[in-house]
Amino acid sequence: MTDTTPRKPIVARMGETILAGIEWAGGIARLLLISIGVGVRRPYGVYDIFYQIVALGVRSLALTTIMSIFIGIVLTWQFGEALMDFGAKNAVGSAASLALVRELVPGILALTVGARMATGMAAELGSMKVSEQIDAIASLGADPIKKLVWPRVVAATVALPLLSVWGNILALGGGGVIADLVFDVPFMYFYETYVDQLVIFDYVSGLTKSLVFGLLIGLIGCYQGFTTKHGTEAVGISTTNTVVATSVMILLMDFILTTIFLPI
Amino acid sequence: MAKTIIELRGVCKKFGKHVVYKDMDLQVREGETLTVIGGSGQGKSVCLKLITGLLKAEEGDVLVDGEEVGDMNADRLSRLRRRLSMVFQGGALFDSMSVLDNVGYALREHTDMSDDAILARARECLDMVGLGSDPHLIDRMPASLSGGMRKRVALARSIAIKPEVILYDEPTTGLDPMNIKRIGEMIKKLQRELGVTSIVVTHEMPIAFDVSDRIAMLHEKHFPFVGTPTQMRRDAPQAVRDFVEGRV
Repeated sequence: MTDTTPRKPIVARMGETILAGIEWAGGIARLLLISIGVGVRRPYGVYDIFYQIVALGVRSLALTTIMSIFIGIVLTWQFGEALMDFGAKNAVGSAASLALVRELVPGILALTVGARMATGMAAELGSMKVSEQIDAIASLGADPIKKLVWPRVVAATVALPLLSVWGNILALGGGGVIADLVFDVPFMYFYETYVDQLVIFDYVSGLTKSLVFGLLIGLIGCYQGFTTKHGTEAVGISTTNTVVATSVMILLMDFILTTIFLPI
Repeated sequence: MAKTIIELRGVCKKFGKHVVYKDMDLQVREGETLTVIGGSGQGKSVCLKLITGLLKAEEGDVLVDGEEVGDMNADRLSRLRRRLSMVFQGGALFDSMSVLDNVGYALREHTDMSDDAILARARECLDMVGLGSDPHLIDRMPASLSGGMRKRVALARSIAIKPEVILYDEPTTGLDPMNIKRIGEMIKKLQRELGVTSIVVTHEMPIAFDVSDRIAMLHEKHFPFVGTPTQMRRDAPQAVRDFVEGRV
């Protein structure tokens, strides 16, 4: 059958999309404020937070390990090839270190491991929403934000920087092995030039990025889960939207943080 | 006549453009079992969610013991919800928790009871809903339970904290006749033994006639008929009798 419904003008559709985006961002900000409001009140839910840190961290360890080793390998290889042309292959450690610590490890881990965390949260909370488990928590006199959102947001904010530390060590290791095997730059020489190039602020900026990305991931995952509509199909839609929202927001926030950190 | 414990006065509720209630009134008396009947998708469950404060009415008053639910802050709502328990349509058991943790959830949240005391209370509640014979049930996860067992565990969870009012949302939907009968007996038993006020939302007339002191029929966004099962058979308007007798 032909759809006879008149299409809305493009300006109207653009307006609706912008309004939906503003509403979404407002919802995320509101969730953050409510979470902090209930989270700082006793009981603090320390057990739930630790449970989530362990769950998110341990479940993400394998992916973090694989991603980090390969980020280190690929980036060092690329830099090494380029530096060889200038006869500067010994500088490969110095060149790789800044890109890895400041940008690539926090960024790529947030896009992969973080997106995995966010979709997991969205799917779990979305399923709880459609099966009325979130209403059940509220009807039993507990606060769903305190019980479900606060521990996840804190856990993601803590877990991602911890995973980034682990990722930085592995990226250094992966890069060092490639430098040694492919470019005949000894592992220890790679290590020393790598570490010498870095100042404390480089670590701080990388970890701050991970912390902010973690916070965003927790908030987006929980918000998407809590705003899941009815039915199992909605859980799928919510999860897919979470990947898109997380990726876009991480890249946007990365740009903002880089703009802030680079001049310092 | 028993005092009114729950009152909905001039309630209007809509979702977007879809109006569910328009100037709706309903009173629930202390200690009675009131059944809300009506067609699918008319908003019977919305009534329960308004009473527990899970949803807010756009207009009108939702009063529990004379207190307006819509005006309550989080702490007062939490206190209210310890007095009102809700049994959800699909049970809404927490997937990630064992039967024991599900049944003991409210006790852990709101009391200082020890693990042993919670275990004992959980066993007592499971026994009350006819699930006391399996000693290993408390360790099982909800996914391994049948539909009927899930509903009964949900019922056990709702009575664990000794509520004054139990709200049942379609307690028998999707169950076989034996389990329907069993749930009906349980609703009556809980009212008899615990003296709780019950509101049962259903569209199944046998259970409505079986458990109810009064029946309220939801039709065209309000309750045109509220009366005893006998009155319903005898005096109800044509639309109500058509629904009861399944006339198209």
